[in-house]
Amino acid sequence: MSRQSNRTTDSKKMNAELFTLTYGALVTQLCKDYENDEEVNKQLDKMGYNIGVRLIEDFLARSSVGRCQDFRETADVIAKVAFKMYLGITPSVTNWSPAGDEFSLILESNPLVDFVELPDNHSSLVYSNLLCGVLRGALEMVQMAVAVKFSQDTLRGDNVTEIRMKFIKRMEENLPAGDE
Amino acid sequence: MLTRLKTQVPLFSMNSYTKLREKLKLSGLSFASTHSHVIRLGRHSRHNSKMAVCIAVIAKENYPLFIRSVPIQNELKFHYTVHTSLDVVEEKISAVGKAMADQRELYLGLLYPTEDYKVYGYVTNSKVKFVIVVDSSNTSLRDNEIRSMFRKLHNSFTDVMCNPFYNPGDTIQSKAFDSIVSAMMVQAS
Repeated sequence: MSRQSNRTTDSKKMNAELFTLTYGALVTQLCKDYENDEEVNKQLDKMGYNIGVRLIEDFLARSSVGRCQDFRETADVIAKVAFKMYLGITPSVTNWSPAGDEFSLILESNPLVDFVELPDNHSSLVYSNLLCGVLRGALEMVQMAVAVKFSQDTLRGDNVTEIRMKFIKRMEENLPAGDE
Repeated sequence: MLTRLKTQVPLFSMNSYTKLREKLKLSGLSFASTHSHVIRLGRHSRHNSKMAVCIAVIAKENYPLFIRSVPIQNELKFHYTVHTSLDVVEEKISAVGKAMADQRELYLGLLYPTEDYKVYGYVTNSKVKFVIVVDSSNTSLRDNEIRSMFRKLHNSFTDVMCNPFYNPGDTIQSKAFDSIVSAMMVQAS
């Protein structure tokens, strides 16, 4: 199955709205089902993880980037290739820790949160937590264990959305543990 | 232009610019100063002419989703005004026959003038109504400005609808919508 990258920009606008609304419906349904923001965050992370472990295959097939030599290269590939390919945005990589194992992705705009305003009773909801799961799952498939979390969120009143990624360890080559 | 000066001056608070205008008017205007006057006045009045006194959003079941008026103490009167304007809206929607239903324009125009106010209406295809009440003395407000206000309201309302946390039928509590509406309202003097 050859998958040509025929993403043209003309239909992107409509797809983006449908995508945003779909994600919104997903989050609100989860909120109604679980009624607990922490639980919803966990579920979003799990769902993201499941997406990530599959998405990495698609990404590697489409982008044909080779194995990254170090974490810095990984960060650049994530920001410049992966985000661009799937969300159409290019976050910037900043705030490297002195040890070089932690960095931040700064997103000026987040297509998942167009039109969204968090109501007051969901103040601890991490709306875009799916993204954290996706990154974690995808990197786990290339033998990198990372911890991902949101440190700033425009829905909570910050100016930008910031994702903090921390490298934990390189994993042994072993079969994937399967879906959580 | 001078008649516009006459109606503008008593309405709005006397800021320093208005005082200057008064002074110039009394001292006799030269063309140059009139002209620069007119340009600046134009900007000033355009700034004020985009101001409504009350803005309301009514659901298709005819209950208010959002109503905001300035000054706050007359709110009940505006509620009543908007409520009575709904009859006119219904009349205008049903006036066009079934065959012309798709050709009916969203903007309804001036619904009815009272001695103090003019009430404008706009209906979406989902039967959500927007009502704007402006001061009668604000004669400089043109039709296409009202249309653009309604267009902005409609766009803002669509954004509110797209918020996944908003349930259709709830009152509108969006901060973005609030700020759009506040930008269109007269500044409380």
